[in-house]
Order: sequence, then C-alpha cells, then structure tokens
Amino acid sequence: MQHVITFVEHKNGQTRKVSYELATEARAIADALGGKAHAVVVGPGAQALAETLKTYPLDVIHVNEDGDVDKYLLDPAIDYLEAVAKSVGPAVILIPNTLQGRDIAGRIAARLGAGLTSDATGLKVEGGKVETVSPKLGGSSITTCAFKPGDYGVVTIRPNSFTALAGGSGASIETVEKPAGKTYVMLIESESEEVSGEMGLEEAPVVVAGGRGLGGPEPFTTLLKPLADALGGTVGASRAAADAGWVPYSLQIGQTGKTISPNLYIAVGISGAIQHKVGMRTSGTIVAINKDGTVPIADFADLLVVGDLFQIVPELTKQLQAVHA
Amino acid sequence: MKIVVTVKLVPDTNAEKRIDAATKRLVRTGVETVLNPFDEYAIEAALQLKEKLGAETTVTVLTMAPETGKEVVRKALAMGADDAVIVSDAGLEGSDVWVTGNVLAAALKKQGFDLVIVGGLAEDGNTGGVSGALAEHLGVPGLTNAAKIEVADGKLRVERETDSGHQTVSAPLPAVLMVTMGVGEPRYASLKGIMGAKKKPITIVPVAELALDHPVGTDGAKTELLEIGKPAERGKGQVVTAEDGPSGAKIIFDFLKERKLV
Repeated sequence: MQHVITFVEHKNGQTRKVSYELATEARAIADALGGKAHAVVVGPGAQALAETLKTYPLDVIHVNEDGDVDKYLLDPAIDYLEAVAKSVGPAVILIPNTLQGRDIAGRIAARLGAGLTSDATGLKVEGGKVETVSPKLGGSSITTCAFKPGDYGVVTIRPNSFTALAGGSGASIETVEKPAGKTYVMLIESESEEVSGEMGLEEAPVVVAGGRGLGGPEPFTTLLKPLADALGGTVGASRAAADAGWVPYSLQIGQTGKTISPNLYIAVGISGAIQHKVGMRTSGTIVAINKDGTVPIADFADLLVVGDLFQIVPELTKQLQAVHA
Repeated sequence: MKIVVTVKLVPDTNAEKRIDAATKRLVRTGVETVLNPFDEYAIEAALQLKEKLGAETTVTVLTMAPETGKEVVRKALAMGADDAVIVSDAGLEGSDVWVTGNVLAAALKKQGFDLVIVGGLAEDGNTGGVSGALAEHLGVPGLTNAAKIEVADGKLRVERETDSGHQTVSAPLPAVLMVTMGVGEPRYASLKGIMGAKKKPITIVPVAELALDHPVGTDGAKTELLEIGKPAERGKGQVVTAEDGPSGAKIIFDFLKERKLV
C-alpha cells in the first residue's frame, strides 16, 4: 500500500471538522508509507471546498462538480471514488464514520475487493503495513487490525480522533472525469433538513445529553440547548428519552444509537446503564448531574454532582455565558 | 414477493465478553447468543411488508452461523418469518466483512430474492459494511438507513434518515435495503408463533454448495486481526452533593475550568 485517499463528505461545499482531521492524518500516514495524500471531493460546491482544503497538507485534491452526486443516492460518489482509487493505485482510503461515510465505505471496499475496518480511533504504520485501532464490543475491547500491504484498504474513522492542523505546501486541484457508461436508479426525490446548521452529534466537541430525569421534551430545548450552545456543543439523549418520543432517535447515544467521543460529555438525568455507557465511554471528560448519587454513572463519570438538574443547569449556563460575555 | 432478511447472531450485550488470547476470537461458550438487536428491526420491517402485500409474500431469514444457531434463528421464525437458511461451515471461522459479503451474496443468488433487508450496525463487529457489500456483489440498488418503506409496481420508495434530516429515495426492485430503528419496535413472538416456529423449515447450507470464487474464513479475509486488548477502565471520579442550583453549577464550572474545558 503506497498512498492515502480521503473521501470528503460535504453538502454544497459545506463540510465538517472531521474532513480536516482526515486531511491532516492522511498526510501523516502517506509520509509513513512514502506515498502521496489524495482527497476526493465531488458534487456541487466541490471546487470551492477544494480551495479551503488546499490549506491542509494534501498532495492532490480530485474534484468534480457533477450534479448527479446530489441527485442520486451514493452511486455517483462511489464511482468517482473508485475512479480515483484505480488511477492512484493501491491505497488506504480514509472515510469519516458517519451515516453516509459508513455507506460509502461498505460499497467501495466490496467493489475494490479491499479489507474494511470501522470506527477507528487510531492509525499507525508498522513495517509498511497500515494498522487500524478500533474500540469493539461496545468499547469493552480494543482491536488492532492490519491491511495486507500492496492491497487496497478502507477504514472509517471516528470523528474527534485526530487533530486538524492546517498548513500545506499547496495541493494541486485536479478534475476527475465523470465515469463513463453509468446509469443511476436510486433517485433522491425530496429532502428535508431538520437540524440544518446543527453540528453532527458524532463530531461535536461537547455533547450535553438528557435522559429520563428531564421528565419531558421541553427541557431539551429550554435547558440543555442553551447549555450546549454556551459550551459550543450539541444536544444528545439516552434511549429512554428517545423511546418516550421526547427527541428523535437521531439524537440517541448508546448501544442502539450513536457511539461518540466528544472532549466533554455532560449527562443530565441519565443513570448510565451499560447500554448507554457503551456509546460514550471513550469521551474525554464525563460530567453527570443526577438527583441520585448511587446511579451506575457514578462509577465512571469524572464528576457526578448530586442535585436538582432543573436548578443546576440554568445556573451553569448563566455562569458559562458570563465568561463569554 | 420474496423477501430475505439477513441476520447476525451476536453474544448477548448484557453479558460480559471475553476474548480468547490464543485465537483472538470471542469466547462464545457460556455467553448467550442472541439475534443482533438491530436485525430484529429488519425482521419487523419485512413482516410489516408481508402484512401489507399479502400472503404471496414470503419472508426468509438468512444467516451465517454455526448449526447451534438454529435455536436463535427460531426466534425470527416465531416472530413470523416463514423459513430460514443457515450457511454453516467450520471453515467460516475468522471471516471478515469481505468474506461475509461474498458468502451471503452467493447464498442470496442461490436462493433468489426480490428484496433483501439488512439491519443497521452489528452489535459486535460494528462494521456496518454488509449491506453495501451485498448491493455491490449482487449488482442491485442498495438503499440505506430506511425508516419508512413502500413497495408498489416493482418499485421501492423509502424515507431515509440522514445526518441532517430525511430524504425520500426511490429505486427499482430487486434491491438491498438497510433499515433503522425508525421502522418500529420489533414485535414479540406470540405463543402461537412460538409453537408454529417449531414446524417451520430451517435449511443448513454448507459453503461447498455455494461454489464461491474466493476462499473463506481467515484465509479469505482481507484484514488481519493483530491484537485484542482491554481499554483503560475509567476510574471512579468525584461524587459531590450540591446544596442548591448555584453551588452545583459552581462545582461543575470550577471542575471544567481546572480541566481547561472552558
């Protein structure tokens, strides 16, 4: 394996922090392999985003503004990624571990006959082989896998695993030709943005999550949202809150929801049963607020404050807002 | 219409998991094996379609598992699936997502299908790559993260969950469809269902019958498992009781400041 390719997810040229994290890490791995760091950005807005990506240490950014990428589900993007992978030669392909990223990874790995590892939080090169480190079984074990050298390998990377560092010698931007002879059938008929402008839960640096203790849907908007905003983060929830219909399932953290690793996780009115713990145990710092000091989260939170969340959360928000004012 | 639901058998989430240091595989003895929780939603989605589309629609459950997996598969039959196929072979041990995709795709080709329904992430390996691999190997549309499903006139129309909202996507059948929990809570098996499941056919298919082009198990895997370790356990932190709102807020604020998080 000689090269590294990172697939850049975006919408109309707007991307998320994880794209820059992967662009930075692509350089490190390419250097260790003695290869080049490539990025693939396709769909409307690709050109403008490529200009921003140029400030990161990549060698070549492959772009195409093809409208089919937004019109049809997955297929056009995968064809472009395949075209670049085949022209570049054996490479390890880095893809964010997001909803769309996982879909792309599964498809491109099968198409290239490549190994696939997922949800990696670490990458290294040992003896010319790329190794991926991923928490498995709900984070209760850490597996290290290697791709066969000289083959393609595909890995999805958990957001917030690497630091994004700008600073490049100026990547070249090249147009990748539209793959010929393809017809697309998975038509995107309509689309709605419900959390437009909001940060993705999986890559937010700070997550304020609410559980059964909130007692209803309102506190998510009146209490948690202001606290998350004051910390530059976003709101999540336990399964109990999602099952009760207080928040959509897209906000659920845990066994049947999302697995996240923010720098700071604040659990509000969440007891922290194993099903929840597996979704957030790799967070940097865990703070919990609960009326009961004997809940399971007491065993793994860095700080548990026992008290009334309805009084503590607004006060904390006020204190944080005062810092920024 | 012929619906096939692919499922995975996984160790019970609530049980403590152990990895054999020598084989680097999960120790499955002494740990209850269950249907991957996400796959129960795939079965639910298939049964809802069967109810809508009528008796000519059949639901087959397909898995790659040891023969002892029969008892777990029977739960899917008790929920209402018509029959099950288990691809079972000692040589399959150590298979990665590449091999699994090849094996299940070959079994699906042999079996025939109009719609393949797959659950979201698997509870153990968690690659989420199987539905994409199946779409590639079978050369059919692969729709993902579907919460609502309609089938009419040989066409599939789904409402998908995206990172930022929803999309409506249509595609012709046959197709592979990965579903989310949005399809609705999996039904419980009724007593009648449980009794009936005992008579439903479970076919065991050895790998040799699938005439694969690629080796299976560890030999066919594209990834090499080097090591399985334990993460550093999080220690117990401080537990502080707050007198009132402001003092509780101050405890947290000072803690965040100390850790340079504000």
